Amino acid sequence: MTAMKRLFLLAACLLAFSAQGFAAQEIRIGVLSDLSGATSDVGKPYAEGIMDCVKWLNEVAYVPGHSITALQVDYAYNAQQAITAYKKFVSSDHIVALQGWGTQDTEALTGFVAKDRIPTLSASYSAHLTDPKKSPYNFFIAADYSTQLRGALKFFKDSWKESRPPKLALVYPNHPYGLAPIPAGKDYAKEIGYDLVGEENVDLKALDATPQLLALKGKAPDFVWVGGTTASTAVILKDAKKLGLGATFITNIWGSDESLPKLAGEAAEGAYSLQTSVVYGADVPGMEIIKKITNGEPQMIHYIRGFASMLTMAEGLKLAAAAGKLDGPGIKAALETLRDFDPLGLTPPVSFFPDDHRPNMTAFLFKIEGGKLIKAGESTLPRKPEWLGK
Amino acid sequence: MHGHCGLFFTSYRAEEAVFPSPVQRVWLYAFLAVYLCLPFFLNAYLVSILDLIHIAIIAAVSLNLLTGCCGQISLGHGAFLGVGAFAAGALSAAGWPFPLDMLAGGAAAALVGLFFGLPSLRLKGIYLAIATLAAQIILEYVFLHAGALTGGSNGLLVEPASLFGYAFDTDQKFFYPSLAVAAASLLAVTNIMRSRAGRAFVAIRDYYLSAEIVGVNLFAYKLKAFAVSSFMAGMAGALWAHYLMYITPEQFNIGLSISYLAMIIIGGLGSVLGSVFGAVFITVLPEVLSAVAGAAGQLFPDVSSSLLAMKQGVFGLVLVLFLIFEPEGLVHRWRLVKAYWKLYPFAH
Repeated sequence: MTAMKRLFLLAACLLAFSAQGFAAQEIRIGVLSDLSGATSDVGKPYAEGIMDCVKWLNEVAYVPGHSITALQVDYAYNAQQAITAYKKFVSSDHIVALQGWGTQDTEALTGFVAKDRIPTLSASYSAHLTDPKKSPYNFFIAADYSTQLRGALKFFKDSWKESRPPKLALVYPNHPYGLAPIPAGKDYAKEIGYDLVGEENVDLKALDATPQLLALKGKAPDFVWVGGTTASTAVILKDAKKLGLGATFITNIWGSDESLPKLAGEAAEGAYSLQTSVVYGADVPGMEIIKKITNGEPQMIHYIRGFASMLTMAEGLKLAAAAGKLDGPGIKAALETLRDFDPLGLTPPVSFFPDDHRPNMTAFLFKIEGGKLIKAGESTLPRKPEWLGK
Repeated sequence: MHGHCGLFFTSYRAEEAVFPSPVQRVWLYAFLAVYLCLPFFLNAYLVSILDLIHIAIIAAVSLNLLTGCCGQISLGHGAFLGVGAFAAGALSAAGWPFPLDMLAGGAAAALVGLFFGLPSLRLKGIYLAIATLAAQIILEYVFLHAGALTGGSNGLLVEPASLFGYAFDTDQKFFYPSLAVAAASLLAVTNIMRSRAGRAFVAIRDYYLSAEIVGVNLFAYKLKAFAVSSFMAGMAGALWAHYLMYITPEQFNIGLSISYLAMIIIGGLGSVLGSVFGAVFITVLPEVLSAVAGAAGQLFPDVSSSLLAMKQGVFGLVLVLFLIFEPEGLVHRWRLVKAYWKLYPFAH
């Protein structure tokens, strides 16, 4: 080979490289958000977390040689609008992955995403979505509702000092999301030695929970699990304070956030909140990025979970791109190779397996002190196969 | 009535004909011929909207029979759809073939509708509305807690509809069975309205006492209206279940019932064609608004989230404006347009 030829080859290689650098390939993902519907109070910050993360991912070229285009649709927590938005994503926009939101859209689309092979990350943490046999293309990055409840039960049982068994009461709405973890929670409570003394239903739109709490008061529970949304939790906590129900309250992931102390005031003090991510301002690497994007403006915890969800999806996209398989099955396979992937400290490490889509078994416990969420500990359970999907 | 100048009838039979003039028949067949070819030319997104419109038409026309024609307000129509969906889903899981499980779903919904129609004997107007609201709440509770049948809070997986081994598992394929059921429902309601039963329904709606005096059995006809209406709603629910492949109690909430009421009010109470217009309008409007919001969001990327969120507000506003400026529904506007062109250019 002559020197001239070599030079040509080098130039050609360089050109090819730079061309690839310039023409970053586009990865299209769909983002279904609730910005105006029933769950928009928490849906909006979650969606902002996703969209901000996409901006950051593109800034740092997280997926080499590719840019991510996030197409956002507000489906107003309406199943029908979620379906048509999804159909448009798939047939007109040719997305390769989907960021979903709540129970309504996630469950309505479970059948479609499995058929169209579109990996979907959402914020509907029902345990039945973690079983790939039933929902092969569904993922999420938080411990499921059942695991969270089990984790909380274990946490409080471990620190229980008295000789009698702790008395537990469950308060939840008569709603798919509220009911989801109840059978698992009851079984586990019995298994590790709780005394289940009462169960009450408080509606998500309740304005008063006095009758239910009066019924519980006579049974003097030590711990009360509250499943619901922040609005219903605030009602429960205020009425409990009014009635002098001296129990420790544990609220689930959607039942408390930064707005709970504002809604419930003093009554929220001392309540525990189950979460699966850090709060704004925590000392983790990812927070530096978030602080920079948000100009130091505090964000709700849902924003952080949205950010982490997108970050985890991007890791899947990166692995799939490296393997040259940037399509639905390729991204699913890439996500299923994640082992203890750390979303920059924002959530506990995430692993997915081909036969087990539980991201991790860790729940964080925050305590509301002085109107703020202060981390009180965390609880990690073993990945028991018999708990999968339940 | 709305026929051509010079078009007159010499018998009731002729006046009650589905197509008062052969021209209308030809137009409808031409429309159907074009419509049947649409799935070959449209993408899955647009066909999915048509599929959802078909289901909405079945639900709307059945509610219009009950509420628009017979005057029995129902706030539980979404739940009746749910009964059909869960019944068909459970039967399909037990091995029943597609059209049978849909008919059985319709039958189950008809039975439930009959039961919840019983209060209509004593209750009227707003009181009946509350009674049917109770039906909605009770049925939602049942969906959530009848774990073995409905899957409870986890929901129910349903196989796509299939006939003789041919699965209607894409939007394009599902277009045809859903259209067939929608067309059959429209034809059924049109014919019911031309029969003794239809006249009895209208009599009950207009004034129950006069209806009873001229010999209409209020009890029997009100229950018939509930049963027929719920039967069709149940079939719509079965189609929904097969289309979605995954049903949960949340899908059949009060919001769904209200959106069907909105369809028939916007379309035109008591009109079969109005049900179609309403179903199309309520299904397509959010899509149009989404497209507009999306396009506007690309022009102003910084406020794209806020623009998207405005969609719901605009949706509500459009409905209110519609009720103010076209209280008789889209079907009335359609008649005005038709009349205008019929007389063109000699409008008087």
